[in-house]
Amino acid sequence: MTASSTKDRLNTLAIVLIPVCIAIDWAGHALASTLKLPLFLDSIGTVLGGLLAGPWVGGLAGLITNFISSGTVDPIAAPYSIISLAIGIAAGIGGYYGWHKTWPGRIALYILIVLVASIGSTPLNVNLYGGQSGVAFGDTVVYAPLVKAGWPTWLAAYLDELSGDLPDKLITVVVAVLIYFGLPNRYRALFSVWRRPSGEPEPAPAS
Amino acid sequence: MEVTRPALVFDRVGYAYEEAPREAVSDISLTIAEGEWVGVTGPTNAGKSTLCLLAMGLAPHFFGGRLKGGVTVLGKDSRQVSVIERSAEVGLLFQNPFTQVSGARERVDDEVAFGPECHGVARPEVEARVAEAMERVGIAHLAARHPMDLSGGQLQRLALAGLLAMRPAVLLLDEPTSQLDPAGAAAIFDVLAGLHQRGTTILMVEHRLERLCELCPRVVAMAAGRVIADGPPDEVFNREAVQERVGIPVFTRLARDGALPRPWPVRVGDAATAFAKSIA
Amino acid sequence: MAGGLSLYAEGTSLLHRAHPLTKGVLTLSAIALAFIAPSLWWVVGILVVLLALVTAAGVLRRFFAVALAILLPITLLLLAVQGFANPLNRTVVFALGPIVYYREGLAFAALAALRIACLVSATFLFSFTTRPADIAEALMQRGLSPRMGYVVQSALQIIPQTLEMAGRIQDAQRARGLETQGSLPRRARAYLPLMLPLVLSSLVATQERAMALEVRGFGLKVKRIARYEFFDSTLQRALRWALALAVPGAIVARVAGWR
Repeated sequence: MTASSTKDRLNTLAIVLIPVCIAIDWAGHALASTLKLPLFLDSIGTVLGGLLAGPWVGGLAGLITNFISSGTVDPIAAPYSIISLAIGIAAGIGGYYGWHKTWPGRIALYILIVLVASIGSTPLNVNLYGGQSGVAFGDTVVYAPLVKAGWPTWLAAYLDELSGDLPDKLITVVVAVLIYFGLPNRYRALFSVWRRPSGEPEPAPAS
Repeated sequence: MEVTRPALVFDRVGYAYEEAPREAVSDISLTIAEGEWVGVTGPTNAGKSTLCLLAMGLAPHFFGGRLKGGVTVLGKDSRQVSVIERSAEVGLLFQNPFTQVSGARERVDDEVAFGPECHGVARPEVEARVAEAMERVGIAHLAARHPMDLSGGQLQRLALAGLLAMRPAVLLLDEPTSQLDPAGAAAIFDVLAGLHQRGTTILMVEHRLERLCELCPRVVAMAAGRVIADGPPDEVFNREAVQERVGIPVFTRLARDGALPRPWPVRVGDAATAFAKSIA
Repeated sequence: MAGGLSLYAEGTSLLHRAHPLTKGVLTLSAIALAFIAPSLWWVVGILVVLLALVTAAGVLRRFFAVALAILLPITLLLLAVQGFANPLNRTVVFALGPIVYYREGLAFAALAALRIACLVSATFLFSFTTRPADIAEALMQRGLSPRMGYVVQSALQIIPQTLEMAGRIQDAQRARGLETQGSLPRRARAYLPLMLPLVLSSLVATQERAMALEVRGFGLKVKRIARYEFFDSTLQRALRWALALAVPGAIVARVAGWR
């Protein structure tokens, strides 16, 4: 069996996985709405795809989820497609290095994703929505008082965005990692071809 | 006697899936001529599905694993040809009707066109092939429907039409009717009979021995990854080894338990004649 | 039937019949221009043009229903926050108790809200008049990889199917005693028991689907043949170029002092 045929297999599998991750993004968000949870939770599929199959799958899932939702229910989200792309890539990188398998790694993964989301969204917020994040809580409780008190707009905007991202991405990463380890070994092995060869069999979760 | 090019040759083939301790098939040597209809049967884990995957090239290209020996289909070694390249001449119909739909088309006729489009076939030719394939399997009247509105039996016919639209010389089927009701199954077998008449080589894995004997002029019985019998069904199912390890068609068992003389019939018609004769 | 996702509304207007690429360029340049334009009245002008097109497409009522639901909350939020807290605030307009609202902030918020209205209108103009299948086909005709086209088309079908499955899993879990109402912690605890089975059933057929695609030749590197042709014309091509060039043109104008 040649290396290129392994890549072929990954490519078709990856192509089939991406729409599934997109659907999981949507379902994750829909479920959060149904349960009236005050979070977006629209990137679980993106992060899971990244952990399972790498930056390409995670990134494309995030990007296309955003495209589709922009065209159907939430056009305001359109400029943020690039953030979703970045989150998927970040999750893919974390997955590649196996961060999700250790406690320090998981925290690192969470921090990376929060940073990507907040740092990426803030310039967009500043240029498009006057610095606001569009989330009522953050805008009224964080942004407004800070700006009123004289803080620089970009900083108030960043903290506003962060106030939403910290809980949202925490639950997103927690759920994605729990689902990852809740999957039968078979599924993880199925997509594991892309991962950096470490020589050891898939370890049990370090918890 | 007419000399026909072999369609499929397995030459001392052994194959083990990745991470598997044992081979799924061992030391398989089979030659299938063009135009033959061969049935493959055996108990669970006999390696029947693996045989189909090997013929298609999914083993080893999709599954990885370790391949020994040579699988040659239509003159080309399976190691040198990728699955998607093979798809121009070889088709594989799986068991589950629901997972073979592309999921990207909203009409049945567009779904059938998917394969030829992947192959870059010109538009008028695609339309001709789609019409022909839908006609062959009997779903032309469903052309405008959404694939997800179809029943299991209709979906399996749709999947078959999708393969036929690529005009394969060899058709592999892995228990194509196991998830269908009797009417759905009969419809599929009718299509296969028509294909056989037109010269398509067919390799079919089938659990229901009665069907197998009825339809296939040649049966390969497998157990534990090896071929234990290969020949006409009358011969194969009269062997004790096969009866023990693989199974015995109902009519054959009736004849055996009814103390009819050997060789025992394997088909309904033959069984009826044999019983009639014994009563007379 | 799958396809509950799309906003597409049947119609025969000029916009419906236009090439998806034309509409795409129109949407993107309208959005860009709305954000580049320096002052309120320019943005209002763009919005008026977009609304006229929406009317011409015959989708005005449906459009309003969807658009207002999205625009109202963000507009109120912008007015509430910027009117109160914008650093440029000087002129008092009114006060709600201790919270004072200023003209500068409200004007800023109005501009931002109108730009967002243009964004939403332009996007919906596209979505209401273009079939998703046509979007994919147009992109692939212009060079999008068929595998990526497949990803989008497949996603459009899988999303409604998965949402439906989520509903069924919810019913099943509730029948088994899962609590989905009540306090926040209780509702939150229901999340994973609902998500995990959903993800599992979504992934279960992945391997089979991938095999079935390969068996049909998916991924073969052949020149893609157009499945059908779109109505295109010199006028449309000229329009696309004009709109596309208007964007860098507007940027240059801004730099040169357009206010």
